[in-house]
Amino acid sequence: MGTESIPMTSMPPTADQAERMSQRQIKKHHVAIMLLHWFNAAVWLTELATGTALIVSSHFRVMPYWYLNIVDGIFGGRANMLHFHIAVGVTWMVVFAVYFTFGFRTYVRTRVLHGIPIHESGTWRRFLALQCILFQNEEVCLNADDVRWLKIRALRMLGHSQEPLPPQGIYNAGQKLFAWLVYMTIPLIMATGLIMSFHLISTGVVQWAIVLHFTAVGLVVSGLMIHVYMGAVFPEEKPAFFSMITGMVNELYAYRHHFKWWREVKMEEQAWEEKLAGGPGIAGSHRLTKVNATPAQEAEVTNPYCSITGHGSLWRRTFRAPAYWPPYVAGVVLGLVLLATFLFMGQGLGASGGFTRYVVALLAWVAPSYAAHHPYWSNYYQPGQSPLIAFLVFELIGVVIGGFVSGWLAGRVRITVEKGPRISRRKRYVLALAGGILTGYGARLARGCTSGLALSGGAVLSVGAFVFMLGVFAAAFIGAYFMRRCWL
Amino acid sequence: MARYAMVTDLRKCVGCQACTVACNSEWEVPTGYARTHVKFTGVAGTFPNLLSSFFVAQCNHCDHPACIDPCPTGATYQAENGIVMVDRNLCIGCGYCVEACPYDARYINPVIKKVDKCDFCSSRIERGLEPACVATCTAHAKFYGDLEEPKSDVYKMVYEQGARRLETAQVAIGPNVYYLGKPEEVDLAFAAFAPHPPRLPRAGELWTTVLRPLVLAAIGATFLGQAVAFFRQLVKGEGLFEDDGEQ
Repeated sequence: MGTESIPMTSMPPTADQAERMSQRQIKKHHVAIMLLHWFNAAVWLTELATGTALIVSSHFRVMPYWYLNIVDGIFGGRANMLHFHIAVGVTWMVVFAVYFTFGFRTYVRTRVLHGIPIHESGTWRRFLALQCILFQNEEVCLNADDVRWLKIRALRMLGHSQEPLPPQGIYNAGQKLFAWLVYMTIPLIMATGLIMSFHLISTGVVQWAIVLHFTAVGLVVSGLMIHVYMGAVFPEEKPAFFSMITGMVNELYAYRHHFKWWREVKMEEQAWEEKLAGGPGIAGSHRLTKVNATPAQEAEVTNPYCSITGHGSLWRRTFRAPAYWPPYVAGVVLGLVLLATFLFMGQGLGASGGFTRYVVALLAWVAPSYAAHHPYWSNYYQPGQSPLIAFLVFELIGVVIGGFVSGWLAGRVRITVEKGPRISRRKRYVLALAGGILTGYGARLARGCTSGLALSGGAVLSVGAFVFMLGVFAAAFIGAYFMRRCWL
Repeated sequence: MARYAMVTDLRKCVGCQACTVACNSEWEVPTGYARTHVKFTGVAGTFPNLLSSFFVAQCNHCDHPACIDPCPTGATYQAENGIVMVDRNLCIGCGYCVEACPYDARYINPVIKKVDKCDFCSSRIERGLEPACVATCTAHAKFYGDLEEPKSDVYKMVYEQGARRLETAQVAIGPNVYYLGKPEEVDLAFAAFAPHPPRLPRAGELWTTVLRPLVLAAIGATFLGQAVAFFRQLVKGEGLFEDDGEQ
């Protein structure tokens, strides 16, 4: 395929071309985005169903009484419903807080990486930059084409214009407007929700929070209705609906509705093909812009922000980069997690203590009487009381899940044996097991491991923690010398 | 079903606040707040025709309470026996009911940050006890009972001895706390502690007058627009839209 075959403007395809294009699929959404979308949809569905049923007073009520009674019956009382509403809402907030934190970090990082200044000059460019900082995603930012699109679309709907619609990126202007509405109202909904749930600040603030919460949700709902209608009912947008399940859209749809995005995908594909064909290699990407279009033409079809900072979804850019966090940032976050566990659980983090409880549970299952009377195990087991009902047990499950998710999102998950180049797998297994036994024995002897004793103990300035840490480092220095052949 | 009421005999009340203390200790009311409180009118008139009275304020458990409608979550409700209750599990501490109550019988508990008020000691009544204030009243000035029970003290006081409820022309919502006493003393107390019309804070007013109509109109307009589009789609068939796309 030659470079000339990618058109600059969206001309109606011939029947033959259309047939060929409708057969081909392009990837539109990353699986993480699809999961987030359906998570969000589920949250909105349940929160709307319970939230509207919670408003019973005649001053505020929006739903009829028969509806309130039905939802009341499902939950067995409004108190349960309120707790459910708050629990789902807080979960939603946590998920989105993570999304935003990562998104913002990636956004700034991408700009720094590409040498783009964070501050912009000129009203229009400032506005674009502001949008991008808010949304952390150039794909959602309104640009000049979108403003024209909205104008022409409105005129066409009224039957006053036959002008063709300007080409659109991966999201069209209507979708972007909805994104604007959502991004503006969601922080308000979250903040007011927290104020109401936890009776924050003052009575007067709670009074305003109620009203703002309802209004913001109401505005989103009016937009959400269009969003759902477009996705589920409107025939033209059916591929968009299925793309949220499969992640793919057919090329014809992309060509017709999201021409600018289609063109980008095509150019990316072409660059790859040239590279694979042993062509100009890395220089190919530079050549591509030269061959394809003059700078003026380039500016005409693409938003400068989209073309500079590259393609790909926010999630792909955030999580697909196999980079680890900077250790200083990770250290501070770990400290905050530790603070949170002290606040909420009344105890610090730990690892070996959790393992101990798993072992005791196993022992109590096999030999309950022995476990109950053993001088050491009986600390963890009393008949009729499961040793598994403990924070550390659940924390360990969370560690496994969190570790997996983190590795999976960064694309690091694979089955592998971490070992030095000189030793066999079997030797590595044996040494790992031996090391594990030593660590476990030592941890229980010292009443804690690096997590429970050094981290949590150190956080409360326990002398034992500092002695332990000195011991660990000293032993590690000596041990590393003898074990160096295993790793080098 | 029972209809509980309370009668305070202002002739007997000595203003000792024993009822306030009993109530505060029974219900762990924080210092500086009260579910019930004995007020003093001060001295009125000119010597030698002086007049004064104590007045025991508390929730009136009105027949048509002003505090129920403004409560967004329905935490405030009227039980079948007429007692106005607060479900603390549902209260979010917004204080709309505090503003609405014409008798200022409610307060926001600063410890739990939720609303609190007299509930006629419902849990004590269920155990067959009298309300704490009635049980403790040093002058035996407070009476509690069922107005549908002709043998009860309150029935006699209300229907035979002419105990009066604190109502005005503006606020007539059927309070169920009655007062006995010399007519001029009761008049003095009623004038001093007259109820104010229910208040709705500005936020709530904005919602009912502007924001709710606005939100419902926005949703309605969207729905209508979509209904029209859907109708067009049904009538003209899906083919119509195939060529309507961006080209």
